[in-house]
This record gives sequence, structure tokens and C-alpha cells, in this order.
Amino acid sequence: MPTISIFKSDLESLLGSPAEPRTVSIDELQEWLALVKGEMKDYHADTGEVRVELQDSNRPDLWCCEGMARQIRIKLGGTAKPYPFLSKQPGRLPSLLVAPGLDRVRPYVAACAATGYRVTEQGLAQLIQTQEKLADIFGHKRKTVSIGIYRRQKIRFPVTYELANPDDVRFTPLGMETPMTLSEMLMVHPKGLEYGSILAGQSRLPLLRDADHRPLSFPPIINSREIGEVLVGDDELFVEVTGTDAAMVMLTLNIFAANLADRGAAIQPIAVRYPYETPFGKRVVTPRDIGRPRVIQIETIERALGQELGTTVVKEALEAYGYHVSTGKKSVTVTLPPYRQDLMHAMDVVEDVAMSLGYGAFSPEMPSQFTVGGLSRIEQLSDRARELMVGLGFQEIISNILGSPDHYRDAMRLEGTAWGTMVEVRNVMSSSFSCLRQWMIPSLLRVEAASARSFYPHRLFEAGEVAIVDSSHEVGSRTETVLGAVIAHAAAHFSEIHSCLDACLYYLGKTYGLEPIPHPSFLDGRVGTIVVSGTPIGLIGEIHPEVLERWQIAMPVVAFEVNLSQIEQLM
Amino acid sequence: MDTTAFCDNLHPLELTVLEAFGAHSAGAGLTTEQLAEATKLESSQLSMAIEWLLAKQLLAVTSETVTSVVSLTAVGKTYVERSSPLDRILSAAREASSTGKRLTIADLQTKEGLEPSDVSRAVGRLKKEGALLVVQGGCLESTGRPSPSAEAMRALLRDLHEAPRPMESFPEVQRALIHDYAVKRGSAREPFRIEERTTRSYTLSQAGAAAVNALAGQAKTEEVAQLSPDLLKDGGWRTKRFRKYTISLRPPRIAAGKKHPYREFLDAVKLKLVSMGFQEMRGSLVETEFWNMDALFMPQFHPARDIHDVYFVKEPACASAVAEPFFSRVAATHEHGGTTGSTGWGYRFDPERAKRLVLRSQGTAVSARTLALSPSVPGKYFSIARCFRYDQVDATHATDFFQVEGIVLGEDINFRTLLGLLNLFAREVAQAKEVKFVPAYFPFTEPSVELHVRHPRLGWMELGGAGLFRPEVTQPLGVTVPVIAWGLGLDRMAMVALGVHDIRELFTDNLDLIRTTRGAF
Repeated sequence: MPTISIFKSDLESLLGSPAEPRTVSIDELQEWLALVKGEMKDYHADTGEVRVELQDSNRPDLWCCEGMARQIRIKLGGTAKPYPFLSKQPGRLPSLLVAPGLDRVRPYVAACAATGYRVTEQGLAQLIQTQEKLADIFGHKRKTVSIGIYRRQKIRFPVTYELANPDDVRFTPLGMETPMTLSEMLMVHPKGLEYGSILAGQSRLPLLRDADHRPLSFPPIINSREIGEVLVGDDELFVEVTGTDAAMVMLTLNIFAANLADRGAAIQPIAVRYPYETPFGKRVVTPRDIGRPRVIQIETIERALGQELGTTVVKEALEAYGYHVSTGKKSVTVTLPPYRQDLMHAMDVVEDVAMSLGYGAFSPEMPSQFTVGGLSRIEQLSDRARELMVGLGFQEIISNILGSPDHYRDAMRLEGTAWGTMVEVRNVMSSSFSCLRQWMIPSLLRVEAASARSFYPHRLFEAGEVAIVDSSHEVGSRTETVLGAVIAHAAAHFSEIHSCLDACLYYLGKTYGLEPIPHPSFLDGRVGTIVVSGTPIGLIGEIHPEVLERWQIAMPVVAFEVNLSQIEQLM
Repeated sequence: MDTTAFCDNLHPLELTVLEAFGAHSAGAGLTTEQLAEATKLESSQLSMAIEWLLAKQLLAVTSETVTSVVSLTAVGKTYVERSSPLDRILSAAREASSTGKRLTIADLQTKEGLEPSDVSRAVGRLKKEGALLVVQGGCLESTGRPSPSAEAMRALLRDLHEAPRPMESFPEVQRALIHDYAVKRGSAREPFRIEERTTRSYTLSQAGAAAVNALAGQAKTEEVAQLSPDLLKDGGWRTKRFRKYTISLRPPRIAAGKKHPYREFLDAVKLKLVSMGFQEMRGSLVETEFWNMDALFMPQFHPARDIHDVYFVKEPACASAVAEPFFSRVAATHEHGGTTGSTGWGYRFDPERAKRLVLRSQGTAVSARTLALSPSVPGKYFSIARCFRYDQVDATHATDFFQVEGIVLGEDINFRTLLGLLNLFAREVAQAKEVKFVPAYFPFTEPSVELHVRHPRLGWMELGGAGLFRPEVTQPLGVTVPVIAWGLGLDRMAMVALGVHDIRELFTDNLDLIRTTRGAF
């Protein structure tokens, strides 16, 4: 999940106030990161920059300095103060009008204004970073959620969210010098090229403009340079969020409102008017409290945590983690703060109780119930076969299972044969890792080809999994465990490997016969299938010189391969 | 010095040489040639034995004479077969004179196949000796007079044909010719080679004389190199001496049959887990997205389910069906929580997407399958499963790798028993006494915890992640008791145990490395 960059001094002023920062040592910070599931990646003492990876993909509110500071501040203070912007505002609110038709393109919008906070350099860096991380990771690369931030004083309300003809509207986007049409932005602007696919197939495109018809932005692509470029020193901001998921759009705006409020801004809500129904109605004041009270039994929490806590401890722990809590006799009624929306199950509350109390508050206790350990039958058989091969003087090998068709099929002369059928990958990154091995011998030839300078003789084996294509199986292939072995030296001979196979199968208790077959990987007349109880379970033979040539192996090689899963079935 | 013990250590070749001295009159020196004659040893064996005896100070060098020896080179041998250029030019000129034909220098080169440098040198010498005339037009004519050089050359080739001879054995005229026609720096194509030969004469040292005496005194027992079945059968070993070996030498290498060090490491982990009461689970390398992710309550829009995180199967791209009732239950849980008490993710679950086939990307998929197969309660399970990630391959990222994962089911499972289990892992798997539990996030567990341990050699490290499976995972699969899901990150420990710094080397194709790696667990 996201790795973000914050500055220690910025965090300190958010923990205290810009006038009276609360200083923290780096060790203290390290400890507090447990509260936000953060892992410190590095710390530059000279600049005060700290890079933190936030693990929780359901807590986008924590992916910024403000959010991390807030969680720590609440814990230190024991309770969260409610945000005033969520209560009913006096007077008429500025409004944002949504035009018909957007319900089919990008239906939801939420916005607010923030005044009285003069943007600092570090504050601006956080604002931009939060905008990027939320749109990219939480908003699925702007598809579900995207965010625009503007200079409030340049905007005359009401703002309109509408659909425009791609060639009619022109404005100068951020990062460009001259005005261009929306369709030009999609074709030329880097952000247009990167995110244009979100609007693919749309004949009319989303546009935000103010009462004077001046464009604010072309969501989710790019802001206007004139109104949408926030600079250090600005003290009036306008924030809007558009997207395809009403709850996520609202949550994102709530996070921005809380962040700016924490930095000292007064948040002015906006009244959004839709011509169509939304989960929040047709007239929606944003930001908006989206938390719903939930009753959780104390017993549920205590049983999950394995410790008696009582109502008071639970209440205090959750309040110190930002919840609003009221208590019943054997339960608590909890509401999440407006910047969170990750309460799906009572277990989510259980974890927050544990995190607030600290994992150190719980003493480990051994699970006491008796269980019998053991290995699967195939693993036991595989282990026996491995012991035998070691006793026969073979060196064990472990190989990748994901490899190339060139090695598993083509170099083995199996193109176009049933033996060459493999599970292949659709989204290939490199042809070296594009199919699962269907047999073991190529894995051993891989080692042989690389080890001409290691002294001879070479006796190698590997016991491991292969994937055999089988359309009758649920997932289109069977995963089976096979044993492969090769011998390579100047006089390597069929009878030498035959003796090894013979000894191995004798001790595995299998009577077998060899039946000659043609197989392209082996010399004709020196290859056979290994048959047990009428079932072919493997191959043995002298590797074909053309195969050796393709692998660039300059030594005779003899090999066998037996399917241990099949042997196990026959037991 | 104990002479007898000393004699026991002598090599048969050394004994042969000492015997030759013993047979000779005491005190007199023997040359290399005389020793070769007396011992009948090959020259390489003889010189080896002499070197050893000199090193042991049983022999001493009494005199050293250097003689010049002349021998024929390969060129000289062709002269023996086809005559020297001097003779060939002389006879060609005589033949031309008798037949009245003209003979030019060019003719000698083309018809006789002689080298230009050989021709000009021979013609010069013959002209100087008056045996040849160069007349108008560059034609050669025989004067009929003899050439002393040609005659001397003929005699030398005849004399040296059989064997090399000392320089002194030749008269002055021939010695001068040898010097003229000997191989020197800058003129390699010559018939003669002059070599300095050193002839040494050896005598027994005092210790050597003592050794010869001791040997003479010893009953003449035959020495053998190897005990044989025959010697055992006929009791012949009783009268034989067995040569003593120099046992401090390094032995020849042999290739041992042995397990792969990384597999040995995994075997040790496997044994630990079994001894703690865990039962092994196996799964499929190819899985549906359903079992790999959906069943683990990872929403279909989860970033880790992207095309850039998982390998998808080309053909067939989808499973025909996913087993009920799990399919419907999981879909309902994703959409609205189903009967789990969860709100669910609140999106439209795509059943087709759930059927897509992927290469197993996490061992937890095996656990999910086990949960659906009515596992034992209480029950402990583990798997060491090969998993695949769509990652650029580098020193810390492999495209396929082992994940050690498992589950613990039971009525007594809760957050504290979870911590207790992790404590046990820390002690048993990493031999760590100090542990830290850090809050963590996994899509399928709540609460989630990371286990940090102080490894005796590696210091603080993350050993694994664990948590209680969300009810959204267990209940749709038919499990009603709490379940711990745990995973151990052992690659770093394995790399340290095997002494490799690149994760790709765990699957190396370098046989020398595999043969020589010991592994320290």
C-alpha cells in the first residue's frame, strides 16, 4: 500500500499547533506508527523527511501527515473533538449544480471551501500527495474517485458540473501554455493520455465551470491553469471530488475537509443539487457525516480478544481511537468518525480496541487443544523417493516451476506433440517465465547445461510439482508430483539409469515393465514408458543428441521420470 | 635416526636405486647412464627416484660434466632422405652440364622445390669452393671440382643418422660445418642441433650407506602396493611388506549423493511444524480467482488483483464452474455481507471474474480450500506452497517462491492464543526469545498482526504475519469456529542459512554451488 513522505516538523505542528508544536523523537514516532499500521521506511535527519508505508488499504484517511497526526493526537488526548462543519450551517450555502446526463458518465460530486489557512510549503506538498495517493490507489487510478483543488477567490458560485462537447470548450490546462479543447487535451496532454481511457466512448465530457462560465477543470483529467493552480500563500481554497461511487466520493471529501480543518481552516460546506436520485438524495450538503451507529456486544469483543475488558475499558479505548461511543449494559453503540468508512463487521471494531490498548496489553496464551501432526501421503512418498535417490548417489536440485516454452517444449523437440502441451500465461512479462513445467527432465537439463565445468559424473534429481493440462479437471490442469533423474558423463548409458530406476522402484514396492515407444526427446530405440499395473507412469531413455545440442550440452545424458502422484494412486 | 623405520618409508623406485649402489664397489660414484644400465628403469622414473633420494640426503652429487652433443633436427632428417641442398644443387648442375641444358636459380626453386634462402646460401658456398660457376644470364655451371662442404655434410648426416654424438668426436672441419648449420636464434630451419648435456655422477651419503647396509641386512621381503583377495586366500600377506602411504595428501574428489540445501532447510521447517501438531495441506498450482482471492474476502476491485500483480492462464482462461454452496455464499458476502453480520463491500460481484484461472499467488488459497473441506476442529494445518507473483525478477523478488502458511481452528482461538502461537513459532522456527507484535493489515484477517523477532544471528526481523480470519472468510466456507491464519517469511532466513545474497540463487543452476553449499540451520 502507499508509501508517503512527511516532514517531522509538519507532524509536530499538527500534533500540537503551528505556534506550539509538540516535539517528537524518532523512536517515539516509530512506536506511534503502530497506531496507524505504518512502517518507517527511512528518515533523513538533516531534512526531517520521513518515509512511511501505510499498510491498511481500507484507511485512506491515514495516507497523509494530517491523518497520521490525527490518530496519534486523539490517542494522546483520549478523545476526538467533533468537526463543526458537519453540524447544520446558518445562512445560505454556496451551491454546485449538476446537469442531467452525468448519471451515465460520472454521477457524483462533493465539494467544500476552506478559508483562513494560509498554505505552507509542507502543507501544499501534503495536499498534492494526498490528492495523488487517494485518486491513484483508493480511486483506482482516478476511475472511481478524482480530486481537484482550486483558488476559491477566483470562483463565482454557483458552480456547475455539466457535460460539454469535446470541441466546444477551451481552456489552458495545468502544465500547458495555451488554451486547448477537451478533445485536444485527451490527445496531447500527458494526463489526457494517461487517464483518457476512463472516458472512452463518451461523446460529451464532464466539465466544472463557475457562474461566469469559466472552466474550473475537466474531471477526472486536468484542472484549469488559471483557477486550478494552488500556490504557497493562498488562503482560500475550493476542493471538489467527482466519481462513480457516492460513498467513496463523500469519504474522500470528508478526509480533505478534516485535513484542512486540522490545519486551521474554516470549512464551508457546499450544497450539491442533482437532477437525479443519489444514495444521499437529490440535494446533498457536503461534507456530510456518513457514519452509522452500530451496536456491538461487549462479549463479542471480549471473546475475540480472549480477555475480559468491561464496557468502560472498551468505551475509553474506542474513544481514544476516534470513535463516538455510547454504552449500554452489555454493549456499546459505536459510530466511526466522518473520515472513516471501514466498519464492515464487529471484528473491525475488535481490532481497533486492540490497537488502541496496544498489542502489548495482551499476554500471549498457548492454544491448548491437542492435534495430530503429519505429512500428506504424496509428501511422504516424495520424501521416500528422495532418500532413495540420495542413496543412489544423486544430487538433489530445486528449480523454478514457471519457465519458458523454449526449455520445456521446443528444446525437447516436443513442438506440436501432446507431450508439449502446457499451462501457459496470458499476461506474459518475460518469455522466460511464461508457462508451468509439464515435466521434470528439462529442469535438470537446465542445471546440466550450466554446469559443464563441474566435475563429472553428474547424477541429478528433483522431486517436485508439475502442471499437466487436463480439461476434465476443475482448473483445466492437474498439479502432480514427479521425480526426475539424469546422469551425464562421457560413457553415460541406458543401462546405468535403468539400474537406478530399477533400484528406486524396487524399494518403493512397485513391479514395473518397460515398453518401447517413440518419443522425440530421446534416441529412437533407447526409450520406453515405465508401466506399473498396466498404467504408464513415466519415461526412461537416452536424451536425443539434437536435444543436447539445443541445450548446448556436450556430454551424453540419460534420464528417467516417474509420476509419484500416479504411483500414490496405485498404492 | 631409526634406519629401519626410514627404510620402510622408501618407495620401490628408491629401493631399486639404492640396491644398484649396494651392488657396486663401495664409495665409487655412478653416473646417470650407469644407473640406468644397472636399474633398468625408464629415464623419467630414474630421475624421479634420484630427486627423492637427493632430497632425503641419501645421495650426493660427486661430479657434474657438461658436454656438447650434436643431433639431427627434423630438417636434418629430411636431408638424410633427400640429400642436402648442397648435394642437390651440385648434382643438378652436373646433370645440366652433361645434357647441355641451362640451369638458373629460378629452376632450382621451381624444379627442385628448394627454399630461396637455402639456394642462395648453398650456391654461395659452392661458388666460393670453386665447385660451381655463375655465367652470363645467371646460369649455373658445374666446374667438375669437388666441394669439401658437401662431402663433410654427407659424412655428418651419415654419422648422426643413428644417434646423437658428442661434439668432440668430430674433426675440426666437420665441427665448423656443424656450427654453420646448427639451429640458433633466428635460424630455426637447420639440420643440426647442439645441446649441452649434463652428466652427473652420484655417490651414497653416510645416511645412504647406512640405509644400503640396513637393506642388505633385512630379509629380502617383497613389497606390495595393494592387499588382494589372492594374498588373503593363500596367506601370502604374511611374507609381504605393504608400502606406507603419504596420508597427508588431499584425496581425489567424489560427488556425494545429497539433498539440496534449500530443500533441507524446508524439510527442517516441515519437521518442526509436524512436531507442533500441524497436518500438511496440498493445493493446485493453478487456481480460480475465487479460491485465490474471492474466498479470502479480497474485493474484486482490490489493487492486488490487478493484471499487473497476478499471472493469468491463457487456455482455458476460466474454470467451467465453482463449487456450490461456496460460490453463492461468497458472492453474497462480498455484495452485502450475506449471513455473516458484515456490511460486505457493497459492489456487484462478478461471477465470471471469480472463475478466471490464475497461477496461485498466495498460499492462503490452499487454506481457503481446506476450510471448505470440513477441516478438523480443533485443527492445525500447514502448507509449503509454490506461489507466483507478477514481479520484475531481481535479487529480492523471485517470480516463483515457496510460502509457508497455515491455519489453526478451535473454540479456544482468540487474539491471545494467536499471540501464543506466534510466540511458539518465534521460539521453534527462529530460535528467538524476544518478540514484538505489531499491528498489520491483511485483507482476510481482523485483527492482524506482524511477528517481529530478534533472531540469534540476524537481529530484529519480520518473521511472519497472522491474524484471525474474518467471519466473511470462514462462515461462507462452512466454518463456525474462530480460525487463525498465519504465514512465515522464511526466505531471508534460508538465504542466510545457505550463504546466498540473491533470492534467485535458491533455485540456482550452478551445480558447483549446490555441491559445495553446506547450509547451516
